[in-house]
Amino acid sequence: MNRHLLPEEIDQLLDGEVGFGTAPLKQHVRTCAECGAELESARALVGQLEQLPHFAVSPRFSEQVMERVHVFVPWHVALADSVRAFVPRQRRWRTAAWAGVGTLASLVLIAVLWVATRLDATLFVLELGVERVRAAGAWAFSNLVVSLFGDTAGQALSASGPAGIVAVLLITLLTALLAVGALRMVVAGARRR
Amino acid sequence: MPLSLELSNLPDADVAALARGGREAAFHELVRRYERPVFSLIYRMVRDRELAEDLAQDTFVKVLNHIDRYRPEFKFSSWLFKIANNLTIDYLRKRRLDTVSIDGSPHAATAAEKEATSFDVSARGESPLDEIESRELGGAIEQAIAKLRPEYRACILLRHVEDRSYEEIAATLDLPLGTVKTYIHRARHELREALGHLRS
Repeated sequence: MNRHLLPEEIDQLLDGEVGFGTAPLKQHVRTCAECGAELESARALVGQLEQLPHFAVSPRFSEQVMERVHVFVPWHVALADSVRAFVPRQRRWRTAAWAGVGTLASLVLIAVLWVATRLDATLFVLELGVERVRAAGAWAFSNLVVSLFGDTAGQALSASGPAGIVAVLLITLLTALLAVGALRMVVAGARRR
Repeated sequence: MPLSLELSNLPDADVAALARGGREAAFHELVRRYERPVFSLIYRMVRDRELAEDLAQDTFVKVLNHIDRYRPEFKFSSWLFKIANNLTIDYLRKRRLDTVSIDGSPHAATAAEKEATSFDVSARGESPLDEIESRELGGAIEQAIAKLRPEYRACILLRHVEDRSYEEIAATLDLPLGTVKTYIHRARHELREALGHLRS
């Protein structure tokens, strides 16, 4: 090679490119002091650049980022995380916990099987329980209406039957929802101020 | 084994996949891995610590809030640097901060603020004389980088500080490969010119 290296050729050597094209360039650098010095100077610059440090962020950086990130946790991930939080770290305690869970599951399975073999009796007890809960609920609701609105309202409610009770319940629920909505609007307005 | 320890051994694409699945620890891991490189890149572009932190935070918030848009066939870090670079270049265009001072924030109002925001590049494990030389060289090279055009600055920092290939830089900055090579070549040339007095 009868000329000095072009800047692009110095770059090729600097980037460590390989191939037939770079062999004569390397050969030239070995014999030409000027090009050798040029390459060394470029290498020194790259060396300095590569030694530039990474700077540390402030200690609250990560926390401040996460305050603005909306993490959507699917329910199954949340459930798995919650369960994982209860799993002991130590192996022997983990084994003991699994043994406990296994025993409990076996007992529940036996209980379910026992109930299944006595289905008639189970259904009878369930029906009895539902009826008692319904009667207790109706009695409590009737008492509440009488104490709030008097005997006449109680008698009207008894006369109207289940449809009347449902209607009164719906009206009460709607009133409660409207009251909660109005309260939230008042609070939001106060915050904005 | 705690989840955070398991995460530190996983490649970026896997951690990003866990983040997409709603694992908060994976978000923390991605921030932990890249907070310093992203912040350093932005800091060297804008030369203002507070501003660089704000832009770095915006970068992570944008990336993590849109993690579902990440395509695993690309490098996560390239995507992250692309957003960091775009936010920084947008900011520089708005504020026209093409050249900035190494001596402190341009927003600093007092000498104390200037001192607090000035660039501090110190060497590690060197003799006092080496440290002085190193500080001078470090300072000089940082100053020379600051005087480069923002496009050159981003290319040269990605190439030599972040050790990215030309192809990755082209993908990160949305530039043709030839343009990246030209920018890096010109940046090196300008840096050598600027640092010439130190070599002689």
